[in-house]
Amino acid sequence: MLRVSVACEAAGVPTVSLVCEGFERQAAATGRGLGFDRLPLAVLKGHVDAQGYDEMVASFVEHTLAQVVDGLTVAIADDGETNVEPSALDTAVRGTLDEVHHEFATRGWSDGLAIIPPTRGRVESYLAVTGHDPWRILGTARPSGRDVTVWSLAVNAVMAGCRPEQFPVLLALADVLLDPHYGAQHSGNTTGSDALIVLDGPVVDDLGFNHGAGALRDGAGAPNTVVARWFRLVLRNIFGFTNDEHDKGTFGNSSRVVLAEDMGALADIGWAPLSADFGVIPGVDSVTVARMNGGLIVGSVVGSTPEQIVPYLADSLARVTGWELTHVYGLGQGQYSPLLILSPVLARVFARAGWSKADVQTALFEHARIPAWRFETLIGEWSNLTAGRRTLVDLAAEGVVPAVFAESNDPKRLVPIVTSPEKFRIAVSGDPNRTNAYVFSNDGTHGNWTSKPIDRSYSTDLVCSIENKGACS
Amino acid sequence: MEPVLDVVWPKSPLGTQSRRPAPRLDSLRGKRIAFAWDYLFRGDELFPVLAKELTERFEGVEIVNYDVFGNLHGPNELELVNGLPDALAMHRIDGVVSGNGC
Repeated sequence: MLRVSVACEAAGVPTVSLVCEGFERQAAATGRGLGFDRLPLAVLKGHVDAQGYDEMVASFVEHTLAQVVDGLTVAIADDGETNVEPSALDTAVRGTLDEVHHEFATRGWSDGLAIIPPTRGRVESYLAVTGHDPWRILGTARPSGRDVTVWSLAVNAVMAGCRPEQFPVLLALADVLLDPHYGAQHSGNTTGSDALIVLDGPVVDDLGFNHGAGALRDGAGAPNTVVARWFRLVLRNIFGFTNDEHDKGTFGNSSRVVLAEDMGALADIGWAPLSADFGVIPGVDSVTVARMNGGLIVGSVVGSTPEQIVPYLADSLARVTGWELTHVYGLGQGQYSPLLILSPVLARVFARAGWSKADVQTALFEHARIPAWRFETLIGEWSNLTAGRRTLVDLAAEGVVPAVFAESNDPKRLVPIVTSPEKFRIAVSGDPNRTNAYVFSNDGTHGNWTSKPIDRSYSTDLVCSIENKGACS
Repeated sequence: MEPVLDVVWPKSPLGTQSRRPAPRLDSLRGKRIAFAWDYLFRGDELFPVLAKELTERFEGVEIVNYDVFGNLHGPNELELVNGLPDALAMHRIDGVVSGNGC
């Protein structure tokens, strides 16, 4: 809600922001990143969802109310502090390899794993291979307010162990993070989902990304691992998602390696890759990203026809879906869009029967269903994310969910878990001959599915020397 | 002898211009105070309590309820937040209480 307060302050209207205890630092950092330092907060003691009504109201009146009044009426002191930060080419740490590792970990600049120390020379050499102007600003990171520069992306690429030929993939991922539709500013939400990056196009094989056995395992494919590590380092160092600033994940998820689709298998069966769902022309290199709450292995799928294997796959999609229904309606609206990853042999079962991806999506829509009472309880009673505790029939009458959710008033009727068949996303990857699948529940508006093309052409931006920033403007 | 490394900073400069907050109000008496809600964390129970307390304590205070501005954290967040300056002006708002970040 600091974003709301900032919009009001910018319009000349004073604000005070209500936050639960424990959110003070994140709120302050968000305000600072948006240009407003020390905006007033009124703190709700504890967490309102764990309090009875009388307890919550008593605490609010006793502890919070005076802060609301003060926040709107007491002048904000300027403490005169100015935080001097290093510039891009300054030496931030000088020391031996061990000392550099220790300093980076201690200052929160690394994930704790060993890094390649980003010396100036190493970063310059890295960028020289790509031809990119180091001082180009791609956008502003939200919520930190930091510039996303080519230089800063390259520093983190060196640290993660990424090779220069992977840099175009990293630039495309930066485009995702800067796209408001993706919503990078939500990357520290309390439920703690983490990104899944899907790679499509000739780049998969050209750069040696693993799409076979262990497709989602750390270290099974070096490019898959280091590119995903870079993504996490950038969220940490440039976007500000550390525990002392913007990361409020209660548990968080581990970083996921890049999922590369099996382009050969897709070509064989005539299916477009995942990125085509988001407007990328098949054959064009691309990254597609969404944040995922959790995943579930669908083991030992048995069947030689689509009709035999759809029920198990659909059941798995329903089982991986709980709190996420708030992205069908609640936190979001029609933004729940889970992912089914088929191993190539399972994808071939569909293709052999002449099924397109759309046919699979339609079948999943018919089979992946849960009782209406369960749906309503998850978004209303158990999670309190739907104001007014409205039923699916109410929501359909308002036009915010499709009529298929309200075909009767029977609480035991089965309803879909997404608003339309195409909301089921499908990718093909993994050991080509194993009959396993994997399902992921996405985190809706906290990291909407977003695709960006990858431009692997040599950049001509580097028309100035690194010493001569002015010539690059 | 182990080599000594000069290592650069992995962060990037702040690109956001620092701005002064809006002037605070001299008092809440006679002011129009808006509630801006993210439709989360029991705001529908807390804001009525706040409205009652402010109305009792400050003569002439007027409350503009959250439903006037919509769900500011939902699927239309960007559009609604971008539209706030106009909405505040239209409703002649003097101060805003936003919530709930939990």
